[in-house]
Amino acid sequence: MIDASLPPEGVRRTIDAVWKMESAKIVAGLTRMVRDVGLAEELAQDALVSALEQWPESGVPDNPGAWLMAIAKRRAVDHIRRSARLERKHEQIAYELEQRPPDGEPDDVLRLMFLSCHPVLPTEERVALTLRLLGGLTAAEIARAFLAVEPVIVQRIASAKRTLAEAEVPFELPDGAELTERLSSVLDVIYLIFNEGYSATSGDDLMRPELCLEALRLGRLLAELAPHEAEVHGLVALMELQESRSAARTGPSGEPVQLHEQNRGRWDRLLIRRGFTAMLRAREAGGPPGPYMLQAAIAVCHAQAATAADTDWPRIASLYETLSRLLPTPVVRLNHAVALGMAYGPVAGLAVADSLTGDPALRDYHLLPSVRGDLLLRLGRREEARREFLRAASLTGNDAERAFLRRRADGIPAPKAPTFTLWQAARDFLARDDLDGGTARSYGQTLRRLRLSLGDELPLDSLTADQVAHVFRTAWGEAAAATWNRHRSAVRSFCTWASLDDLAAGLDRRTVTPARTETIDAARLDALWNLPDVPLRELTLWRLLHESAAGVTTVLSLNVEDLDLDDRRARAGGGWVSWRSGTARLLPRLLAGRARGPLFLADRRPGPARTPAPADLCPETGRGRLSYERAEYLFKRATILLDPAGHGYTLRQLKPRG
Amino acid sequence: MRYLMTTKATDTDAPDETLYAEMAKFVEELTAAGVLLATGGLEAGGVRVASSGDTITVTDGPFTEAKEAVAGFALVEVRSKEEAIEVTRRFRKIVGDGESVIQQVFGP
Repeated sequence: MIDASLPPEGVRRTIDAVWKMESAKIVAGLTRMVRDVGLAEELAQDALVSALEQWPESGVPDNPGAWLMAIAKRRAVDHIRRSARLERKHEQIAYELEQRPPDGEPDDVLRLMFLSCHPVLPTEERVALTLRLLGGLTAAEIARAFLAVEPVIVQRIASAKRTLAEAEVPFELPDGAELTERLSSVLDVIYLIFNEGYSATSGDDLMRPELCLEALRLGRLLAELAPHEAEVHGLVALMELQESRSAARTGPSGEPVQLHEQNRGRWDRLLIRRGFTAMLRAREAGGPPGPYMLQAAIAVCHAQAATAADTDWPRIASLYETLSRLLPTPVVRLNHAVALGMAYGPVAGLAVADSLTGDPALRDYHLLPSVRGDLLLRLGRREEARREFLRAASLTGNDAERAFLRRRADGIPAPKAPTFTLWQAARDFLARDDLDGGTARSYGQTLRRLRLSLGDELPLDSLTADQVAHVFRTAWGEAAAATWNRHRSAVRSFCTWASLDDLAAGLDRRTVTPARTETIDAARLDALWNLPDVPLRELTLWRLLHESAAGVTTVLSLNVEDLDLDDRRARAGGGWVSWRSGTARLLPRLLAGRARGPLFLADRRPGPARTPAPADLCPETGRGRLSYERAEYLFKRATILLDPAGHGYTLRQLKPRG
Repeated sequence: MRYLMTTKATDTDAPDETLYAEMAKFVEELTAAGVLLATGGLEAGGVRVASSGDTITVTDGPFTEAKEAVAGFALVEVRSKEEAIEVTRRFRKIVGDGESVIQQVFGP
C-alpha cells in the first residue's frame, strides 16, 4: 500500500502513471472480449473512473494493473449480459469470459497496434488513435503535442473508432503478404510520431521530446512483440540513433547544429549502443534490408565515426543508392548527391544534384540550391555558389536557416564590377508605368518564378534561352496551354524591353484546345448506376444531376421545402429543376421524413470552428450542407476505375450531351 | 525523463530461485515496455578514489559502512516521477525488505 497520507493530487498522479503503463494491455484485452475497440475503451475508462473514486480511500492496490483489468472485465461481462439478455449464446460467452483469467493474450497489444494503424483510417487518425490507445495519452495531451486544439483530437479519435466499427475490421493479426503491408503502416505511424517530435515542423521548439519518447517506447514494444521482423528492429535502431544526437542538435540559443558540426561528445552513448543492438537484431532477422534498415545503417555509419572527417562516405553513398531505389523520394536522392560529393568529390555529387533541378517536386526545396552551392564552392565556382546560397535563403521558411544561408553567401565576395542582375531587371521592367495592373501582376508571376529558380543575382547578360526553357518545363510543363502561353508572352515582352535575344526561343507556343466538358458515354453511365456500395446520397445526387441537366451548385443548393415530389421538380432561384423516374425513386428514401433544410447533407455536423449560415444547416440533424468540393471528391473517387484516363470524372460531366 | 534507481545492500540470505524467476520476468517486462534502459548489480566494496588538494588516495574495499553501499542499479526512461515510483514500488514488492533511491538523471 502506498502511504495513506498522500494528498489526493498525489494519488491522482499515481493513478495517471499506472494508467499510462497499463492501458494498452487493458484496452487490448477488452477489445478481444467485446470485439469493438470503441466500447473496449469506454469500459477501460469506466475502470479508470472507479480507480479515481476508490484509490484515494483504499490506497493503491498491490497490483494496480490487475485491479483495473478485473474491474474492466466485470464491466465487459455486464455489458454483454445486458445487451443480449435473452440470447442464450451470449449468456454462454459471458459465462466463459467470467471464468477466464484476467490476463490478456500476449498478442493482444500487437493486434491493437495493427488495428489503430489500419489503412482504412486517414493518417492523422491513425496517429491520434495510436497515441490514445497504445500510449494511454489523453486527448488534451495529444493536442498539446501536436499544437492542435482538444476538440479536433477528440473528433479524430471518435471518427477513427466509428470507421473501424463500420468497416468491421477484425481484431486479428494479419498474415502473409498482408502482414508486410500492415506492418509497414504501423512502422510509418510510429516514425511519423517520432519525426513530429524530432523535427517539430511547427511551433517554437525545434523538438518536442515527449513525442520522440512515446515513439521510441512504441517501437521498443513492437520489437518485443514482433521479434522476427527485420524492419521493426531497423526502425527502432533508426530512432535510437537519431535520438542519441538530440542534445547535440541545437546550439545554446536553440539554433540547429548540422550533423558534421555537432559535438560528438554530447551524443548519448547509451542510446547509440541500443541502436547498434537493434541493428544486430535486424540483421539476425534476415531478409533483404528495407527502407528503415537502410536508413538505420546510414545512421550507424555516422554514429561509428569518431569525428566528422572519419565518416565512411563511400558506404553511406552506396546505402543511399540502394535506398533511392526502394524509396525514390527527392529528399533521398538529394542526400545521395551529398554523400557522393563527400565520397568521390564535388563533380560526382553535382552530377546527381543537377539532375534533380528538373524535378517539379524540388522546385522550391531550399536544400537543393544549398547543396548545389556547397558543391559549386568546392569546385571553385564561387560566384555560382554565392547565387545558389542566396537562392536557398530566399526559399527557406525557417529564420535560423535563412540567416545561416545568408552568412554562407556573404562569406563569398561578390563580383567587383557591378552587374545588372535578374532581380534589378525584373524590378525595372515591372515598374514601367505603361503596364496595367493585371498585366503587371501576370508578368510579375512569371518573373518571380524565374528569379526563384535561377537566383536574384544572376547577371542578366548571362541568362540563356536554355535556362528559361528548363524553368518553364519544371514549373509549367504540365500546366494548361493557356498558362504556358501567358508566361511565354511575358518572357517575350521582357526580352523586347531589355533588348535581349529571344529568351523564349526554346518555348513553343502551345495550341489551346477550347475547354469542353466531355460527357460520360452511355455504357459508362450504365456502369455508374450499377456501381456496388454507392451511398444513397451520392446516387441521388448523380441521378438528379444527370436527369435535370442543372448546374452542380444549383442542385446542391436545393432545400427539402423547395421539392415538389409529385410534379418531379423543385424551385431553384428563378427557375425549376426537374427530374425523371430514376431520381423520383430515390428521393423519398433520401428524405426519410425530413421536412426542411438542405436536401444533400454533409456526413457530419460542422466542427465548432466553422459555423455555416442557418440556411445551410439541417434543423433536425444539425448537419451542414454537402459542399461542392466534397461531392466532387467523392464522385472522382467513385469513378476512377470507370474513367479510361484513370483520373475519375467530374460532376459536370454528368450533364447529358447536347 | 530518466531516473536512476539504486538499491542498497541488505544482509539477508542469498536470493532464492523464486525471486530470481520473478526478477527475470520483471526485467523482461520492463524492457519490453521500453522502460528499462540499463540495469546491473555491483560488487561489494570496490575501490575508493579520493582527492584532497593535489593528493589522490586510492583505497581498496571492503569498507566499514557496507550497509550504505549501493548493490544494484536500474536506469529507466519514464514519462513522470510517478511512473518511476510505480516501477520502483513493483521492484520492492519482489525483493522484500530494504531500500531503493530514485533520482532524476540530467544530461548527457
